[in-house]
Formats: sequence, structure tokens, C-alpha cells
Amino acid sequence: MLTRVTSSVPSWRKEQMEAAFQTFESLDEPTGAEEDWRYVDFDLPFAELEAVTEPGTALAGGKFFDSLDTKAGHVRIVDGAVTEAEAEKVSLTRLADLGDEPEAWSRVPVDHNKLAAAHAAFSNDGITVEVGAGEVMSSPVVIEVQGVTPNAATFPHIGVRVGENAEAQVLVVYRSAADARLLMVPEVDLRVESGGRLRYLAVQSLDTAATNVVHQRMTLGRDATGRLGEVGLGADLGRLDLGVYLEGNGSSSNTVGLYFGEGSQTLDYRVVINHIGRNTTSDVFLKGAVEDDAQSVFTGLLRIEKEAEKTSTFETNRNLVLSENAKAHSVPNLEILCNDVICGHASSVGPLEKEHLYYLQSRGLPRQRAERLLIRGFFQEVIDRLPIQGIEDPVSQEVFRRFVTAQEEGRVA
Amino acid sequence: MTTALRVEDLSAGIDGNQILKELDIEVPFGEIHAVMGPNGSGKSTLCHVLTGKSGYKVNGSAELAGQDLLSLDVDERSRLGLMQSFQYPTEVPGVRLREFLLESADERGIDHQVAAERIEQEAERFGMERFLDRSLNDDLSGGEKKKSEIFQIVVLQPKMALLDEVDSGLDIDAVRTVAEAVEEMRSPDMGILMITHYSRILNYLDVDRIHVMIDGQIVDSGGSELADELEEGGYAALRERLGIEPEPEGGPMRKPSDFFTETPFDI
Repeated sequence: MLTRVTSSVPSWRKEQMEAAFQTFESLDEPTGAEEDWRYVDFDLPFAELEAVTEPGTALAGGKFFDSLDTKAGHVRIVDGAVTEAEAEKVSLTRLADLGDEPEAWSRVPVDHNKLAAAHAAFSNDGITVEVGAGEVMSSPVVIEVQGVTPNAATFPHIGVRVGENAEAQVLVVYRSAADARLLMVPEVDLRVESGGRLRYLAVQSLDTAATNVVHQRMTLGRDATGRLGEVGLGADLGRLDLGVYLEGNGSSSNTVGLYFGEGSQTLDYRVVINHIGRNTTSDVFLKGAVEDDAQSVFTGLLRIEKEAEKTSTFETNRNLVLSENAKAHSVPNLEILCNDVICGHASSVGPLEKEHLYYLQSRGLPRQRAERLLIRGFFQEVIDRLPIQGIEDPVSQEVFRRFVTAQEEGRVA
Repeated sequence: MTTALRVEDLSAGIDGNQILKELDIEVPFGEIHAVMGPNGSGKSTLCHVLTGKSGYKVNGSAELAGQDLLSLDVDERSRLGLMQSFQYPTEVPGVRLREFLLESADERGIDHQVAAERIEQEAERFGMERFLDRSLNDDLSGGEKKKSEIFQIVVLQPKMALLDEVDSGLDIDAVRTVAEAVEEMRSPDMGILMITHYSRILNYLDVDRIHVMIDGQIVDSGGSELADELEEGGYAALRERLGIEPEPEGGPMRKPSDFFTETPFDI
């Protein structure tokens, strides 16, 4: 049974939590029948989960964290509690030290769904990364978000504030302890002021016993730029609920991502790009593969408000289905309330292209080697565009390893 | 001297349509031969069948330097020494030309260092440097694609090169460049068979023998005088001389598959 732990939260937050708890209690857990949860089986009842009073022992580095040579700062959040925070040039503030309610803390409506309500009701720690106006970061702040205590539900909260004309880089690595069945419901709130530039990359590498549901929002001011990267590898159910708000005129966002599901994993991406200001541009480019009994979901909505003239927006979702029982669902959507726009989408689901295989084989590559080259190439397009440099190799190696292992064990067709 | 390519009684069909009919052709090492023929005569099919594209019902024999081709898979044929330059090379996102060539060279037993140097060297000669670390054929013009195909052949040095319409879609300067590249490929260790629509490329290239293909058969073979004859009177005059029935009214009888010969889905 989940209880609210409020001993170290400021009073404004305590009030929020109390109000949100009412909403949390009133909502049902998703069944998969809701449009927003279609194809997904959420089977981790809150009744079976506990709150964490003392964070467990942190996991050591890990391949993604270790591969970065230079870091502008390091934050570690274990079981929802901030256990380490140090940085240069950048200010880091824990929730407990946010004495007054900040203007911006969350953009996710409490009643968005049961999980969002749970975050609002139970999240009792977190970090706000602030990059002051004009400040330029040349390496990322790295935030490790770990779940280690079995049967725990944790609610890490990350805020990033990029000041006017500042340039910020943030890398978040989500992980969990081996074989620990747990629920992690992080919320990430990214805000970029006028002329600011944010590069943000998240690597979701939880153990497959864990469930991860991330609510992530990015709000862009005038002429601001936000580049997002999402790498989805782990979790039994790994879900990203992403909302981008291009509020400022001339703002632009770019989202790239890759996912690779194996075993019985579900990797679930719900993306909504809201064009609100004039002259805004956005691009979404997600590629994924599924093998064994894994499934992936992409629903992408490009929403263009009435006043959002001269919007230019595109979304692309490509899926490789590598085993007979694997499934990929791809549902791109447009909602256009304004006439003067350029927009489009492209989506595909299928096996490796026969034409491509034939071409590679005609140059002497045996089928197996040709397939490997194609898999590497398929994801390379995304890896080349990740907004933060330094983790290309471990990402590429992990994706490749999954395919090669499955190929050797005859799990892919 | 052994023959690079020997094709005997080769017949091939797809979806019940007979396209190649007991065709014979022979290309010795060190020589460049051209196959000319009207649209739909089966020229591209000949390439596909030799390269090993699936879907064809094939009879007869084809040998590469004395070894049977038809019983092998497409990659085995390539490693044996057969390499086709495609009329419409497919774009392969994310696979870079350099890494692709290195892997292919590795499969052929070419030393890594040797292959890497040869790639650099030939890339400079062909002006391909800027394409080496880009996706295969991605965003290349028609001419650049043809050049890339020839470049790959030069790097991998097969025993037998099949050049399918290597001159189509090119402007006159590009045709000359490609022709010169093909002429430079000539070597005592390689046979070259060029499939072409037009005699234009033959103006820049010293071809040893020309074969004319009509309705899935080689109907005549000869030297440059054959190209001149075609240039003058077209295929109609040649049909008349050889006593082949003229094309029916409204063009040749076309099978559905022939309609694709000018598209990227070329069978």
C-alpha cells in the first residue's frame, strides 16, 4: 500500500500532494481500453507496491554513465530520493530547498491518468537544474535515476530551466536493480527561455523486471531550440509520454529516438507536439525494432493551434519486426486548426527490406552478415543524430548485441 | 585461356512468362562485350538471372571461370567473382559505402589494409571521397549512382563484371566519364559484359564484341559494324536482314513484367 512520505517536502508541495491524492484515489488504473493506453497491458497494481522511506544502495556507474569522459555535473536519484548532486556553472536545487512554490514545476495535469496523478500525489524529492541566462555548457549534466528497492513505487522529479540565450546539455540514464520488480514514474519538466538551446538525451535501460512510465514535457520560448533524444532498451513496460509545447514564435524542436524490444518487453511512445506560436518548426524521427514476443507502440500527434501560422512539422516512425510474434504499432496523427502550415508524416512497419538484402548479398555478403549490417545501419541514422555525444558506442553495441544474439539463437526470422 | 563467362542454353521465366530463350553468350577474360537490344528483349533479366535474383525459373547453364553459377546463392556467386552494377541501385539508409566495401572485401579474403588503401585510392580517382562515409546511394544523382557502382567494382575486382544500363539516364559528359572508367577496368583478369540500350556509349569505348538480343535470344553477334548498322537502320532493319518477324503493330507484345524495365522495380 502506498503512503505519502512528506517529512522533507516544503509546505506548498505538501498541499499539492494532498490535493493530488484525492485525484489519484478517484482514478482507475489503466486497463488498455483507454485510447491513450491502447495495445498496452499495465499489470502492476498500486496495491502491491510500497513507498520508500530510505533509498537503497545505489548501483555502480554502468556502461552509459562510464562512457562519458567529461561531465558538467552529476546527480544521482535513488528510489526517488536525491543522493548526490554536484555541478559547475549550473545550479542544482533539491525540492526541499525550493522554499516557495516555483512558477513552474509541472505541466502534466494531475488527472492526465492514474500514473500522472500518482506522481503528483507521491513525488517527494527531485532536482531542478538551472542554467543562467547566456551561460554555455560544453558538456552535459548527467542525472542517474535508479530504482533499486523491490516492490517500491518511486517518483523522481527532474526540472531543467534554460535561461535566455543559454545553452544547456542534460543526459538522464534510467536504470534499476537486476530482477527487481518495481514501478518508476519519473516526471521531466524542461523549459527553455527565449533564444535558449537545450540538448537533452534520456537512456532508458531498466531491468526487464521493472516498469517505467515517464511523463516528459518541454516548453519552448521565443526562438528557443530543444533537441530531444530518447533511447529505449529496458523495462518490462517502458512508456514515454512526451509533450512538446512550441509556445514562442520561431521556436523549434527536434526529437530523435530508437528502441529495441526483446523477450516480452513493451516499449510505448506517446508523443504530442503542440505548435502554438508562429513560425515554429518541429521534427520527430523515431526508429525501433522488436523481436521475440516484444511489442512497440508509437502514437504521434502533431497538433497545430489556430494561431500557429507558418508551422512546419514532420514525424517519421520506422519499425522493424524481426520475429513472427513480435508486433509494432505505429499511429501517426495530425490535428490542424490553422491553414498556413507545412506538415507531414511517414510511418512503416515490416521486416528488413528484401531489396536492401539483395543488394548487399550481391556484393558478396552472406545473408547473416548482410542482415547485421542493415540492422546497424537502420539504427545508425538515429545514433548519428543523438543530441548528446559520447554514448554512441555503448548504444550501438547494445542494439547490435541484441540482434546478433537473437540471430545466433534463431529467434529472428 | 579460360572463359570468364560462359552461358549456354539459358532459359528463364517469371510468373509463367518465358523471357530468356535458350540463350548462348561467351565473354573471354580481358574482353569487353556489349549486349544491345530493344526494350523488353530480356537484357536486364539476363543480369538478374546471372546475379541470382530470386523468383525466376531457370534452365540451362552459366559458368564463371569454369565454375557453375546457377546452383549458387547470390552472395556465393559474388564471392566466386561475379559482380553486377545495377541499373537502379537501391538506397540503403545508415549503411556507409566505406564500411560496406570493407565488409565485402573481407568476405572475398582481401586484406583489410589493402582494401582500405584501395578504397582511398580509387575514391580519389573517381571523385567518390565525399560519399565514402555517407549512406549507400542515399541522395546521389543518377550519374553519381552509376559512378558509385563502377567504383565498387574497381575496388572489389571481380572476375566478371555485369554492367546493366550503366549509361542510361546520363548526360553526354557523364556517359564519356563512365565509358572511360569501364575502359580502364579492362584487365586480363576480368571479363566485362555491358548491357545497353543505345550505341552512344560505344563511341567512347573499344568493345571487342557486340551481341544483339531480341525476344530473349542473341540473334546476331559481331564487331563495331553491328553497332553502326543499328545506328542507321535501328532494330527494324536488323530484324528484316535476319528474317525475324517485325514487331506487331503498336510495339512489341509486352508482358506485364516488361513494363517495369524502366522503373526502380526493374525485374
